[in-house]
Amino acid sequence: MGLLSILRKLKSAPDQEVRILLLGLDNAGKTTLLKQLASEDISHITPTQGFNIKSVQSQGFKLNVWDIGGQRKIRPYWRNYFENTDVLIYVIDSADRKRFEETGQELAELLEEEKLSCVPVLIFANKQDLLTAAPASEIAEGLNLHTIRDRVWQIQSCSALTGEGIQDGMNWVCKNVNAKKK
Amino acid sequence: MKHFLRMLIQVCLYFYCKFLWRCLKFVMRKLTGRCELQRICYNTKPGASRTMKIETSLRASKSKLLQTSVSVHPDAIEKTIEDIMELKNINPDINPQLGISLQACLLQIVGYRNLIADVEKLRREPYDSENPQHEEMLLKLWTFLKPNTPLESRISKQWCEIGFQGDDPKTDFRGMGLLGLYNLQYFAERDATAAQQVLSDSLHPKCSKFSKTEWEKKRMDKAIGYSFAIVGINITDLAYNLLVSGALKTHFYNIAPEAPTLCHFQQTFCYLMHEFHKFWIEEDPMDIMEFNRVREKFRKRIIKQLQNPDMALCPHFAASEGLINM
Repeated sequence: MGLLSILRKLKSAPDQEVRILLLGLDNAGKTTLLKQLASEDISHITPTQGFNIKSVQSQGFKLNVWDIGGQRKIRPYWRNYFENTDVLIYVIDSADRKRFEETGQELAELLEEEKLSCVPVLIFANKQDLLTAAPASEIAEGLNLHTIRDRVWQIQSCSALTGEGIQDGMNWVCKNVNAKKK
Repeated sequence: MKHFLRMLIQVCLYFYCKFLWRCLKFVMRKLTGRCELQRICYNTKPGASRTMKIETSLRASKSKLLQTSVSVHPDAIEKTIEDIMELKNINPDINPQLGISLQACLLQIVGYRNLIADVEKLRREPYDSENPQHEEMLLKLWTFLKPNTPLESRISKQWCEIGFQGDDPKTDFRGMGLLGLYNLQYFAERDATAAQQVLSDSLHPKCSKFSKTEWEKKRMDKAIGYSFAIVGINITDLAYNLLVSGALKTHFYNIAPEAPTLCHFQQTFCYLMHEFHKFWIEEDPMDIMEFNRVREKFRKRIIKQLQNPDMALCPHFAASEGLINM
């Protein structure tokens, strides 16, 4: 029964639970990213009404990822999910240049929220598989990310469709989970 | 170790049951002088209960001919039935009804498979704003839902009024592709009054329950309803999954006298939209954030209903008159 006792041992050491909030405009790719994280099929995604939640084990953490719909009508509800957030992941559609301004505004408003103060923020410059995608550096500049002083932040280019860059981003998340300054 | 033993027992039990089943079939055949297919056709009334039993029997058969018969081309069905009758030594002159009954079942079984392929093809075709046909269909959807309000331009905030997320609906079809648009358009065109009613309710489902002052006091002006088009695409996903998982077999085998078609699927979608809307109002959720919880509860309810072999999701579409005398 060697295997059983090992299993029991594993079970008795619970992972640290981490609450991750996944936000961004509609069609940014939040749900695809969530499903990609949970290694689920990504070919049947529909627009999110309300929210989705999934738990993923990663590097000794239990990541509870909350994916909230990005439709303008739903954005007022985002604030209901701010409490106790450990890491904020903000997703941007790098190919949707017309809405860079809108997404920048939403992000700026989020960073001013009291309940999210000092929460580490990871910005995913998504859809890099598209030819028209803006590079992460351009987005960082456009959004004036370098002016963020009150928290740790990172911008990571990725493609939720191919999975490229996501692991790098999640490694950063796991490293900075405890960087929240109280 | 325990797990392994349990699995071993299950495997043994499986083979034992299979063996018992074969023996039982053999004994029954000798006793009644009829093969399993005949017994099913004589003892079960037409519709889902019969077709599903025939399907299971064919799939579990030892004979290659019977096994492959569930996936033949629709045109080859008549020939297949003849072959089966010959293989089973059934004289078509003594049992004229059997061939007809079997054929009806097989048409439904094969039709369901082909319907999955058709629906999958539509789902895989992404919405393309360069394609004039797609664009025309999208604009039609607007006219059917809002006959009295002209759309000001192709890219417009107005799309939000019928429940798309932004000013260009093309990004909202996503994983459901053209299937989502087909379904919404069918609903808006063929069931226009209902669709417009659902749309207007979806904007303010709780409005009627409150007086105006109460309404304003509770500040329920924003996002109390759901987004019609987006919900339509989510319900398309539900219908698609029910179809692919085989849960819709009960429904289609009960309503379609022969092969179920895309039209039947779209009617099912309309029914699901109606029912979901009623369900949403009954559930009386706080706000849109509860959508996935309500949707999941609704899905479970539909699946439970479909487990009843006599169930048809939309009785008013019942086309089973032709089946009665078979």
